[in-house]
Amino acid sequence: MDAFLTSRIISDILEGLTNGVIYGLVALSLVLIWRSTGILNFAQGAMAMFSTYVGMIVFAHDVSYWPLVGIAIVFGFVLGGTTERVLVRTLYGKPEINPIVVMVGFLIVLEAVAAAIWSTSPRGIPNPFSPIDWQLGGHPLALSAFSVYEIVTALVVMTAVAVLFRFTKLGLQLRASALSPEVSRLLGVRVGRMLTLGWILSTGVGTVSAVLVASNFFTGLTPQEMDSIFAFGFIAAAIGGLDSPVGAIVSGITLGIALQFVGDYVNSNAIILTALIVLIISLMLRPNGIFAKSAARRV
Amino acid sequence: MEGVALQRRSLITGALVVVAVVVSLVAASRLRVGVAVAIPVALALIAVAVVTIPGLHDRHPVVLRAGVTVLLVDVGLFATYFFPSFTNYNLAIGAAMAIALLGLSFLTGVSGQISIGNGAFMGVGALIVAIWANHHSSTPIVVTLLIATAIGALVGLVLGLPATRLRGPYLAGMTLAFAVAFTAIVNAFSSWTGGDAGLQLPTAVTPPHWLTSLYSSQASQLTVSSVWLADITIVAAGVAFFFMANLFASRIGRSMRLVRDNDVAAELVGVSLPRARVIAFMVSAAFAALGGGLWTLVNNSVSPPEYSLALSITMLSLIVIGGIGTIPGALIGGLIYAYSNTVITWFTSHTGINSQGNLASQLPGIVFGGLLILTMIFAPLGLTGAVRRLWSHFRARRAARLALVGTATYARHTGNS
Repeated sequence: MDAFLTSRIISDILEGLTNGVIYGLVALSLVLIWRSTGILNFAQGAMAMFSTYVGMIVFAHDVSYWPLVGIAIVFGFVLGGTTERVLVRTLYGKPEINPIVVMVGFLIVLEAVAAAIWSTSPRGIPNPFSPIDWQLGGHPLALSAFSVYEIVTALVVMTAVAVLFRFTKLGLQLRASALSPEVSRLLGVRVGRMLTLGWILSTGVGTVSAVLVASNFFTGLTPQEMDSIFAFGFIAAAIGGLDSPVGAIVSGITLGIALQFVGDYVNSNAIILTALIVLIISLMLRPNGIFAKSAARRV
Repeated sequence: MEGVALQRRSLITGALVVVAVVVSLVAASRLRVGVAVAIPVALALIAVAVVTIPGLHDRHPVVLRAGVTVLLVDVGLFATYFFPSFTNYNLAIGAAMAIALLGLSFLTGVSGQISIGNGAFMGVGALIVAIWANHHSSTPIVVTLLIATAIGALVGLVLGLPATRLRGPYLAGMTLAFAVAFTAIVNAFSSWTGGDAGLQLPTAVTPPHWLTSLYSSQASQLTVSSVWLADITIVAAGVAFFFMANLFASRIGRSMRLVRDNDVAAELVGVSLPRARVIAFMVSAAFAALGGGLWTLVNNSVSPPEYSLALSITMLSLIVIGGIGTIPGALIGGLIYAYSNTVITWFTSHTGINSQGNLASQLPGIVFGGLLILTMIFAPLGLTGAVRRLWSHFRARRAARLALVGTATYARHTGNS
């Protein structure tokens, strides 16, 4: 009985971790755009979904997994950059409602176009990792080769973003132009390019999350699949603070694990309800997120 | 000069009233349905007469709004008598949507908060009406609708509380999360809500006898009840319209516009920010719940999956296309919603797109999404804003021409050029 309980708890933690890294990736992707351009990208999930579908058509007939992933991510970069240049650039300096509405519009267009081309039934990407859970002492462990792949990939991407921002000259320029566009421009940083680059990076990170969702043997990807994942990712980012990449990752993973327990011990309908309540309480206590540095706003 | 113009217009107003009375008397004596036709015609003419009283807009705006409301409702009710039941159904759906859009227009346009979750508020109202009707079937419709509206306002209060401390994007994200969560919430309480399958009303809404008696005995019960349902929604939309038109112009509306444009200034002149924001949220949720409740009446059932994120986003598209923060915008949005399916079906049948295919089913999303983006970038105030701009452009040109004529006259008299 005790062993059973322990294995149940370990299973919950592991399964929560696999969901949590996805939320963390989505949250990170949102934070990257928010920090650089002050826009909450509501089309983030749809853009990631669309890029993944494009990857799937290029390699429609189970050629192999890695080129497909590569194509999807490269298309994600292109989509992110183009979106910033064409759509978002018209929105800087407008009232904050305008970018929200435009990105919501982009969200429905992308979802509808994807559903028109590829239908609404789920599509998976066949991949080399087995989704079958390993056993530990006769109990299933809720950990498979696939979930290890998922966790490792997410952590690698997160680390790569951190390294880029912390240790490279490009990262310094990115941070500088987010912090103070005017001064950066005077010091010779091409701020416009940095904004585009922020969108490119964000969409790339987002695409990784959608590829992982699509690779999951049990769910696959539908045009609307990312809606709820986006909601969890946003909740994680908002709890952690939309300004804080570390906060986004930490609260994404924590949220994933906590909600797994809720789903296991209460029921699956309670998951999003709990997340919503946690979001409301957290926003009322700390409107700028737990990890936010300052709460000041320019007026 | 101006006095003469005023006198002439009051004469026109008086003449219209006389015409109204005469026409209705003649109609009443000649037509088979008699009074039934005469009353709305007379009412419409009187309303037109009242609305066109000069200077009314400045001195008695409430009377003007009441006149416009009566006119709109009256024309709507009169039209339902002649429409086929299909059109009446669409009209009812659109009028209920217009009510919900009025709320969204107020929240987003006047108080400056954005909601991507008002479809879920509609769902709350729709479910409450069905649940209440199933447990207390003797309650009159109006009371049930008011209960749904009140509970919608309560849910709006709960979700609006964080709004006291939040700004745009956070709030938008939170309302989006609510819209995504709605289906799960409905399923969590499936013993009450019926889960995804939803609920049926125990008894369909039946038209009263006086309405049935207007029709010949060949008219089917279905036709009469579709007229009745459309009439109920139109009256409700009229009440909502009148209420909202006054709210927009009221002290609350003005203080909220100040909050939207400059919240620091608003605080300095003594507007309580948290209160203004929460009230806006409650009002919009209540209006959405009323619209949803009416949908339940019109459909005779409620199906929770309809109140998904997609509906919330459609609502946002409609109000942006119609004109965010305006009242005509909400009415236009409701009309677009009522007839969008008809137009899209017509479009697919004329362009040879497979009407059962993926493209046809996704066309609304593509069209609404595309229009949403284009409107926001090129005409942020939507159709209403575009019409208003054209109108003021026209008036400015006329004023300029008059001024030019004046200058020319002056120049001729003084001999300068």
